[in-house]
Amino acid sequence: MNRLTTVFLSLVIAVAVIGYFVGIGDGVPQPDGFYESSLVDRDLSQAAANDVKLIPAVSYSEISSTPMGPTKSWQAKPQALPGGDYDLYTKIEPSEAEKEASGKLRASRRSFNGAPPIIPHPVENTTDAACYACHSNGVQMAGLKASVMSHKFLGNCVQCHAPMAPVPFQDVDASVETSFVGLPAPTQGKRAFQGAPPTIPHSQWMRENCNACHGGPNGWAGLESTHPWRTNCTQCHAPSATLDQMPEAEIVPMLPPLDVVRR
Amino acid sequence: MMDSKRRTFLKSTAMAAASSMVASNASLPVVYADQGVADLPDGDGLSWNKAPCRFCGTGCHVQVGVEDGRVVAIAGDKAADVNKGLLCVKGYHVGGILYGKDRLTKPLLRKDGKLTEIEWDEAIEIVAKRIYDSPETFAIYGSGQWTIPEGYAAQKFMKGGLGNNHIDPNARLCMASAVTGFLGTYGVDEPAGCYDDLDECDVVITWGNNPAEMHPVLFSRVTDRRSRGENVRLIDIGTRRTRTTDAANVYLEMKPHGDVPIALGIMHLLIENGNYDRSFVEQHCNFRAHPESGKSLFGEAISEDEFRKRIAKYTPEHVEELSGISVDDLRMLADLFANPDIRITSLWCMGMNQHTMGTAVNTLVHGVHLLSGHFGKPGDAPTSLTGQPSACGTVREVGTLAHALPGGRIVAKPEHRKQSEEFWNVREGSVNAVPGYHTVKMFDQFTKPTSDGGDITTMFVQVTNPGQTLPNLNKLFNDKEPLDDKFLIVSEVYPTATTELADLILPAAMWVEKNGVYGNSERRTQQWFKMVDPPGEARDDTWMTIAIAHKLFEMGYEGMKDKDGEFIFAVKDDAGKEIPIWNFDNYYDTNVDKHLFEEYRQFTTMKHKNLAPYDEYVKARGLRWPVVEQEDGSWRETRFRFSGFDDPFVAEGEEFDFYHSSSKDGRAQIWFHEYEPPPEIPDDEYPMWLCTGRVLEHWHTGTMTRRLEPLNRAMPTGYVEMHMEDARAANIRQGEVVIVESRRGSCELPVWIDGRGRPPRGSIFVPFFDETKLINDVTLDEHCPISKQPDYKKCAARVVKKAAAKVKS
Repeated sequence: MNRLTTVFLSLVIAVAVIGYFVGIGDGVPQPDGFYESSLVDRDLSQAAANDVKLIPAVSYSEISSTPMGPTKSWQAKPQALPGGDYDLYTKIEPSEAEKEASGKLRASRRSFNGAPPIIPHPVENTTDAACYACHSNGVQMAGLKASVMSHKFLGNCVQCHAPMAPVPFQDVDASVETSFVGLPAPTQGKRAFQGAPPTIPHSQWMRENCNACHGGPNGWAGLESTHPWRTNCTQCHAPSATLDQMPEAEIVPMLPPLDVVRR
Repeated sequence: MMDSKRRTFLKSTAMAAASSMVASNASLPVVYADQGVADLPDGDGLSWNKAPCRFCGTGCHVQVGVEDGRVVAIAGDKAADVNKGLLCVKGYHVGGILYGKDRLTKPLLRKDGKLTEIEWDEAIEIVAKRIYDSPETFAIYGSGQWTIPEGYAAQKFMKGGLGNNHIDPNARLCMASAVTGFLGTYGVDEPAGCYDDLDECDVVITWGNNPAEMHPVLFSRVTDRRSRGENVRLIDIGTRRTRTTDAANVYLEMKPHGDVPIALGIMHLLIENGNYDRSFVEQHCNFRAHPESGKSLFGEAISEDEFRKRIAKYTPEHVEELSGISVDDLRMLADLFANPDIRITSLWCMGMNQHTMGTAVNTLVHGVHLLSGHFGKPGDAPTSLTGQPSACGTVREVGTLAHALPGGRIVAKPEHRKQSEEFWNVREGSVNAVPGYHTVKMFDQFTKPTSDGGDITTMFVQVTNPGQTLPNLNKLFNDKEPLDDKFLIVSEVYPTATTELADLILPAAMWVEKNGVYGNSERRTQQWFKMVDPPGEARDDTWMTIAIAHKLFEMGYEGMKDKDGEFIFAVKDDAGKEIPIWNFDNYYDTNVDKHLFEEYRQFTTMKHKNLAPYDEYVKARGLRWPVVEQEDGSWRETRFRFSGFDDPFVAEGEEFDFYHSSSKDGRAQIWFHEYEPPPEIPDDEYPMWLCTGRVLEHWHTGTMTRRLEPLNRAMPTGYVEMHMEDARAANIRQGEVVIVESRRGSCELPVWIDGRGRPPRGSIFVPFFDETKLINDVTLDEHCPISKQPDYKKCAARVVKKAAAKVKS
């Protein structure tokens, strides 16, 4: 009798243990925050709020809406960030190969020259501040590069820049059959003579910040200016009235030729 | 033109050199100018020309870059007031809509269930014969994407030529309640203000509206003011959190239908606190309500005392109960409206229009602005936005509705019929006095067997996709299939849910493949010229209408002759010789658009919606009507209607004049309506609220935008947005395909838990752009009794796991 009870109880326990483990992991991926629980109870999170060195832990689903910036104590003393080693006066020799590679990469993100580039990385948060954090001045970190906004600050970034597919739908085939062929980016401006400053071969509209691509540490390889210390680009490089949507003129209006009486 | 192999070759994948931060599927087909490829666009011979964007009712202007007969680039038009050089992600890629591989290029006739290519002559003859044989059972279903000349030609053909009023547009599903709201309040349609209000207002209230996605250029026009240091307060009243909520200072979550009690509650508090604008109301407003005998567009006058008495029950506590927004929040709203020193702009779109109380809630929000005096000063405006590029221009102004005639006229009024007959030079009595069928009724009659009284047998659909957008598709569209005597003609650019059931498909030219004129949400009329040729045998919709009309004329159909026996669409050259515009080869021998527009212009002065001559629009980036000629011969547009400082039709010295007032005394009407519950409320069987709508990347049924890779890549599929707790309760996982079903039908969709929008518990949201996932099989066809606009925003549904559904069956 006793043995039977022991066997029975062991069985019950075994079934319970197996059932427990099978029950919590059925092998199906769970959505973010599906089984979220607050890792910190209310008292502790209040303690965290009081302790300037602590950031309260939150559930995964709350992360995107939780400010995760520097702690108060860090903010209190201005930190000296490591200075960039960018030297304005280093001799720059743009390489044609790099220029072509940059051009191709840029083209892969645009339907045509002048289209706002698509967002080539996943985004969780589409608020302006989230985009601006990296794309205001550009960032280079551990081999990654965030390009600089070429236009003035404009809100609602995803109004123009299409993000990638939402996380649950990233495997959906989004390709389309089209015969649309967009205008490619120009490869170079025109020069009046060898050594003359080239004209600007693209519109300046939405590309007011020349340094976004052509200068500084966060510009595009092969597209960089050889003279980054010069600050007034259009002093030497003439823009295009047509591309910049200036009032149209069929022919350049000129006064009639001088009325000269020949001897 | 380039051969397709070379294009495929050019679509090499992007450089793998992209850094690891960049996802692998992040690139578009590369169009980098490879050396040695001669016929790629290269910028040589590139020409730029203006056109309004093809998509929404905002009416942005784009610059279209054309090279070698193809559109190769798009830029925001810096000269355009509407968008000031900016666009949205759809607008930047609008050029690609012409080049989907599956463009329809040949007329197709269904023979024994199979589509067969036929010639245009045969196609036109088939249509003309069906009309000739039974003109009174023919119907045209048109569109807010019709250009003004397209809609005008169809209107004249039907009402002037056939004496048949069965012509209604998809805009019935889109802004009919806005129209009846304006008519009920001001006696005349369309907004008094304009987009300039967005530059001046201190507060923007979005009523069930998500402009961050639907009208992004207007939305960022407001939020960009913030980044310039201005203080604009944004209050979002909605049934779910959206991208607009992300930018809002205050989010007020209401129950479906909660907008009605909120508006009533604000008015109640303004009256109770005595801080409404007494002098504005005394000088410029009357009070109105429906008579006991039943609802009507203009209702009956009630006294201010009666209004006070009736609205007294909408106390903040009662409003909280009905709408779900708190007493404090309602008081906050009322206090805002009570403040005369700030400027308040209200924005709304489908939330208030697709509503069984659509007309009512439109008039109530106008009423809030009138009662508080937040009207008619720059920044103080109740502004209704439209979803289609010419819902205003072609539907509301040309009057392509079952009861209307051009220029604000209606078929029921003998003097309006007479004027129209005179302008059209057709015989007296040509125009039928009985209104035709509105959209829901029209499709019901078309898909009902003739033996059961379904008295529409031939339907011509132009520039729209009812097979996807009609509500309750199983009742209104899908049941057409077995009916052999019903004939569906569809003019389209791509295969759609509508062409699936079409008996005859006519390939259409689109956007800059033809001349056009649109009219946007702020009364702006916009013209463009044809820039490239349509593919294959695709042809203009106006031409189709004229060619059918001329075929009938040749067959001796009396209605196609005017009073003098000439063809009703006759166009003559300078020598007085008729130009055969019904031959497509001769269609562009003249500017048919210009002829039609100039004829239509005569209609526009009665309701003071004066338009300028066609050539003025060629020069401008659109002009806002009324456009009135000045002493120096120039044409001046109007930004603020009814306001003495800007509207030329308000007498000198008057501050305001509602000169089309339904009470004939220059006053606007402040309406009272009793709250009514939604037509269907979730219960045990169908426990969820279902709301449908749109997303930023796709425009309406996606026919155009889903053929653009940058947009499709961002939003590849339809989905159902769900609250995490609801998903948990039903054991539903992220991305799992579920069945959304109602009493009317079902639809399979992948789940996006806490997606782009975040619906509260107990409600789900589904965008309608995906033609493979037709949520309108699920929606209901209940509609506003005045505007006949269906309610797509609320019905009862349930979400069922596919596995569970299988077990059950």
